[in-house]
Amino acid sequence: MGFLREEDKEYLRNEFKKRLKREVELLHFTDKNDNSDYLQSSKALLEELVELNDYLTLTVKDCSDRAELESEGLLMCPATKIKSSRKGFINFYGIPAGYEFSGFVEDIIDMGSDNLPLPDDVVLALSKIDEPIDIKVFITSACPYCVKAVRTAHLFSLANDNVRASMIDAYGFSDLAREHNVSSVPHIVVNDRVSFVGALPEKEFLSRIMESIR
Amino acid sequence: MQFTLKRKSEETSSEGVKSHFEAVIIGAGPAGLTAAIYLGRSKIDTVIFEKMVPGGYIVSTDWIENYPGFPDGVSGEELGGLFEKQSSKFGVRTENVEVTGVDFEARPMIVETMNGSYTASAIIVATGTKSKKLGVPGEDELIGKGISLCATCDAPFFEGEDIVVVGAGNSGIQESLYLSKFARSIRIIEFLDHPTAERILLDRIKEIGKIELLLSHRVTRFIGDDRLTGVEVEKRDFNQKRILDVKGAFIYVGLVPNAGFLKGSIDMDKEGFIETNQELKSSKEGVFAAGDVRITSLRQVATAIGDGALAAFKVRQYLEGR
Repeated sequence: MGFLREEDKEYLRNEFKKRLKREVELLHFTDKNDNSDYLQSSKALLEELVELNDYLTLTVKDCSDRAELESEGLLMCPATKIKSSRKGFINFYGIPAGYEFSGFVEDIIDMGSDNLPLPDDVVLALSKIDEPIDIKVFITSACPYCVKAVRTAHLFSLANDNVRASMIDAYGFSDLAREHNVSSVPHIVVNDRVSFVGALPEKEFLSRIMESIR
Repeated sequence: MQFTLKRKSEETSSEGVKSHFEAVIIGAGPAGLTAAIYLGRSKIDTVIFEKMVPGGYIVSTDWIENYPGFPDGVSGEELGGLFEKQSSKFGVRTENVEVTGVDFEARPMIVETMNGSYTASAIIVATGTKSKKLGVPGEDELIGKGISLCATCDAPFFEGEDIVVVGAGNSGIQESLYLSKFARSIRIIEFLDHPTAERILLDRIKEIGKIELLLSHRVTRFIGDDRLTGVEVEKRDFNQKRILDVKGAFIYVGLVPNAGFLKGSIDMDKEGFIETNQELKSSKEGVFAAGDVRITSLRQVATAIGDGALAAFKVRQYLEGR
């Protein structure tokens, strides 16, 4: 039995058909020797998703291939990066389960289209950033507010590819979460210097990013 | 493992195109989504604007047992998802966007969002509430550093820790029951000399054993630099303070309305709750308010549902009578 209900598959088929304009690759790094439900579920879900539209492809690589992982700008495993000819660094460390799944689908559609649902003034301000920005968004899958923060970070990356944005499952990567003193989510860390908590509106989110480069 | 799929409306207005709707609903909680069901079934051209996730405040509620139709209870996440699924069936668009301003004097009225402007002949404000803070020293600095307003989001970070919950109303007790799956001990701090939660919930905390009620106490400050290390409490009338060594604090001391963006454009009480008459009409013609955001004596899913239905009915009458 699959993870997606038939009615959800039908909905996603229609959404992908209407909105995808280009190929999108889901690049999934996993430990092929680990048979845990956590990793097997993640891979199986991605396999189900890419069956829904011909524009979608799945590439599965092993965590042990550090050179490959690093060449994609990734630091940890499991990870799923959404890639297309559109610029942007959209990545998920851990499984985009629970509320994050909807954001994951929206990210796929954005990467496969020219969609950029951000206010014009935010897009303009982002376009002026000319130095690397790394955004880590720590989440839990039961958090209904976290998906908003992850989406905002990923959209910022689409607006300017100097921005790299990753969702991080705070349970799956508990050591890193502890290192960053995470006790409430969404917990956002910018360039490992500035951190804040909450699903802030886009303009406020942007102003926190600007603090990190002042 | 669950994968929650929120359905997006067919047409979105991310390009900021100006659009007109007969009815705009601001907020996709139980009241807003119920209004959407009724308006959708009446074939009234309607859109919902929701800045966070459909379902409203209940999506961060672990378990709901007093909403009829679910004899074994239902999680807030599931109930919110069901409301949304039912409303989308009747063709009402839900846009995931924040409303930043309104002009209730213009005709048609104007609703400004992060994605552009819309006009509407009638508006239902159903923006609900958010958790109230205590307003004591250390609170703002330590929110996210041991102080939390969302147990379902953050409970596992406090596995094996001693924590406090502030407030012994239904929310405080219900979320304490959830937190007890993770925390080593929980002390519930209540200003009144009695808890205000339903008796059935109070009976359950007795069964659990590791939850203690501190009645007639108030929090006077939160302590910690980068992380919460303690909570200073004072027993009422005794002026004696003591410090509880805890790593976590969850605050459930009431609600504040999500209506700041309406300030000055509609009549509200001192706390910012919207004034309505019995027909849920606000002080501005064509503007209705439903659910927790309005002045009311009970804020529950059941009452929000009733408000949503009534507001939609009155909007229909209003549109037909113009």
